[in-house]
Amino acid sequence: MSYRLQRMPVAAPSVLFSARVLSVILALLTAAAVLALSGKDPIALGGKVLSSTFGSRFGLEDLGLLFSPLLYCGLAVAVGLRIGAWNIGAEGQFNLGAFAATGVALFVPGPAWLLVPLMALAGMAGGALWILIPTLAKAYADVSELITTLLMNFVALLLVYWVATGPWLDPSGMALATTARLSVSVPYVWGIVHWGLPLALMLAVGLAVMFAYTRWGYEVRIGGANPGAAAYAGMPVQRHLILVMLMSGAIAGLGGMMEVAGTVGRLQGGISNNYGYLGIMVAVLARAAPLGVIATAFFMAVILNGGIVLQSQGLTTHTVLAITGLILFYAAIVDEVARYKLIPTTGEVTPKGAR
Amino acid sequence: MHEDSIQQRLGLAPGTPPLVALKGVSKYFPGVIANEDVDLAVYPGEIHALLGENGAGKSTLMNVLTGIYHMDAGEIIMDGESRRFASPIDAIAAGIGMVHQHFKLVKAFTVAENIHLGWDATPARISRKALEERTMRLADTLGLAVKPGAIVADLSTGEQQRVEILRVLARDAKVLILDEPTAVLTPSEARDLFAALRAFVARGNAVIFISHKLDEVMEISNRVSILRAGRKVATEWTTDCSETSLAHLMVGREIVLNDMRGDGGARKIGAPMVTLEGVTLKSEYGTVLKNVSLSVRAGEILGIAGVAGNGQRELTYVLSGLVAPSKGTVTLDGEDIGRAGARVFAQKGVGHIPEDRLYAGMAPTLSITDNAVLREYALPPLSNGPWYAPRRALALAREIARIAGVMVPDFAMPARNLSGGNQQRLVARREMRIADKVLIAAYPSRGLDVGAINTMMRYFVEMRDSGVAVVLISEELEEVLNLADRIAVMFHGEIMGVVPAQGADIEQIGLMMGGQRQQGQAA
Repeated sequence: MSYRLQRMPVAAPSVLFSARVLSVILALLTAAAVLALSGKDPIALGGKVLSSTFGSRFGLEDLGLLFSPLLYCGLAVAVGLRIGAWNIGAEGQFNLGAFAATGVALFVPGPAWLLVPLMALAGMAGGALWILIPTLAKAYADVSELITTLLMNFVALLLVYWVATGPWLDPSGMALATTARLSVSVPYVWGIVHWGLPLALMLAVGLAVMFAYTRWGYEVRIGGANPGAAAYAGMPVQRHLILVMLMSGAIAGLGGMMEVAGTVGRLQGGISNNYGYLGIMVAVLARAAPLGVIATAFFMAVILNGGIVLQSQGLTTHTVLAITGLILFYAAIVDEVARYKLIPTTGEVTPKGAR
Repeated sequence: MHEDSIQQRLGLAPGTPPLVALKGVSKYFPGVIANEDVDLAVYPGEIHALLGENGAGKSTLMNVLTGIYHMDAGEIIMDGESRRFASPIDAIAAGIGMVHQHFKLVKAFTVAENIHLGWDATPARISRKALEERTMRLADTLGLAVKPGAIVADLSTGEQQRVEILRVLARDAKVLILDEPTAVLTPSEARDLFAALRAFVARGNAVIFISHKLDEVMEISNRVSILRAGRKVATEWTTDCSETSLAHLMVGREIVLNDMRGDGGARKIGAPMVTLEGVTLKSEYGTVLKNVSLSVRAGEILGIAGVAGNGQRELTYVLSGLVAPSKGTVTLDGEDIGRAGARVFAQKGVGHIPEDRLYAGMAPTLSITDNAVLREYALPPLSNGPWYAPRRALALAREIARIAGVMVPDFAMPARNLSGGNQQRLVARREMRIADKVLIAAYPSRGLDVGAINTMMRYFVEMRDSGVAVVLISEELEEVLNLADRIAVMFHGEIMGVVPAQGADIEQIGLMMGGQRQQGQAA
């Protein structure tokens, strides 16, 4: 009996899940091999990463602080994917959310119980505003959001750099490139981990419920899979597209607000720390499922934290970028391979021609 | 084996080998036998019809022959050698070319550019004028008149098909495979095609003609091979067959395709259910509907005949509320709702089986459940306020699949995994559930086999008998003649005339399809 490969139209969910895990393992093995070749001991380094991440309360708290922005950005991208929109601009929306929240904190007087929710609203509004133009351009002029959302990132990034080093520079003269410490902050829930994290987890669950158990979720699903069918059923495709994309921007903006008002405490250039781009990977690895984002964002947080540990061992931050890149690379390959199945062939098989 | 008699009957020298022969070809897909142990020999000078129901394995077999699929067992023999084609490029190099059902032309390019695209013989540097002259020469030599400078998108389907055929023949094909070539043609275009095919085989070439239309197989082919469930059932001389015997071989049972109007006198046709008055529709492509006035009454089937692309699709859009007319009114059961939108139309009892189910009627990547509930997801019990109950959706999907007679192993499976016939049955049953007043069916039998077409037609009769106004758009004149009470003929976005189907003059309908207005008809 002989076997041959057959490409299947779809792969089983269990196979797909194993494929995801396999792609991660392959990426780690590749990274380990490269480290070994350059004279490092990958096992010792890996042990160091694990022990300093999970072995102490400090490590876990740090992990929590990385987990939170990755969740927001991952959810933002995942929500967009639900309606078939690639929000490459979570990075910019994150910055704008941080910027808007900082504006409220710096210039609006008021008690903390009022200011923090107001900053959250401002953050969401900032994020939504930053995706508004790409959204309208896509909805009404069919302009690809891939390009527009990406380009908006650079504007947002530079805007934050400018205000943090110029008009909003800390007047005390103590800091060179940040605003003054914000007068209010998001309350802590565990050590230095603030309420941003539990809120993000609740948001993921809430989104999962919305997509599965509401009429709106069904309509978004149809609209994302086939706008023609959605129009045929009389669904307001354009309205859903606009709303979902604005939601996506708002979630990233909220992440930015949590970062500035919970984790960092000041607005500074580069506050987004590539979370917006990593969010794309988080969402793609989770296949745009909000609950899946919890797992992939956690995993990404471990990798990022590992990077910080590796840095202390004399490796550059690029190591982490390389590992994340490898994961995506393997995921793409393994996804395709997962569709193939070995099928025993019946009967005799004529030899294959020259290959 | 009666090889000698085959060559004799085809007027060939004794011992002439076939142009191409398949021996014991098998092709398996997971859980499916697409082809098993198929033998087929095609001789110079013959038009060989390949007949079979949907899913009988005709297209798979031809895809194996042209190198798109790789067979799991068997061989292809040409010139006494066993050949294996890694791709369609190898196949065309060996002289086997195929014209697919869906044309593979670049619509924005000219005819000359399409003919020369991806062809070794195309000079590397050539002016547009020289390219068009080359095309003209090829067209003259091969007897296929085309307009070399025309943009493909501007051509009629018949002309596009001629470009496809020329593209294949220009590459010195000895064996031309045509997949249901007449599905998109008017009767006169089909006649032209048949004449061109006869001229082609007279030069010592062969044609393999895939079809499930019995009458044209009878008309065009020398021999016919019938496939059923992936296996070859028989190869016969066409002159030894009748439509009835072919149908019998094809489906393994007798099929009755006849007048379904039933007892015309006893049936009651009611008041107008849906009425279009002076409907004009302008799109970016110009005026696609011109002053269309139509009325469909409760309990009648109105057939819309015409060559595809003459405004039928736009008419279904207006009738189902997908598009609001630029001018004129749409009245449903006495109420003007022309601008209310597709959702309101559906709520008020207008069902719509769209022309292209994969682009409009379904979301092929989503689950069968999601697709089955597309019309009722917003109604109780599936929805309660803003909430949607996936379990109840599954229950409804099961119910629709049961009535439609579609076996679904897993309702979470993407709908694209269903066969075309099963997709169509599900869509039809889904639409019938909401069609209390009007059912619009656009080309419901396109791509379906005789058995599935029969099921569709029975659905429509059932709807009609329950007092629904049915609009049946079809390119099969026979289908409209057998089923409809009246036939409206469309040409260039206009209604050329409406005639009673009973005793209709086919010649007159044909003339109207070609743009002649009905005699004595006021515009």
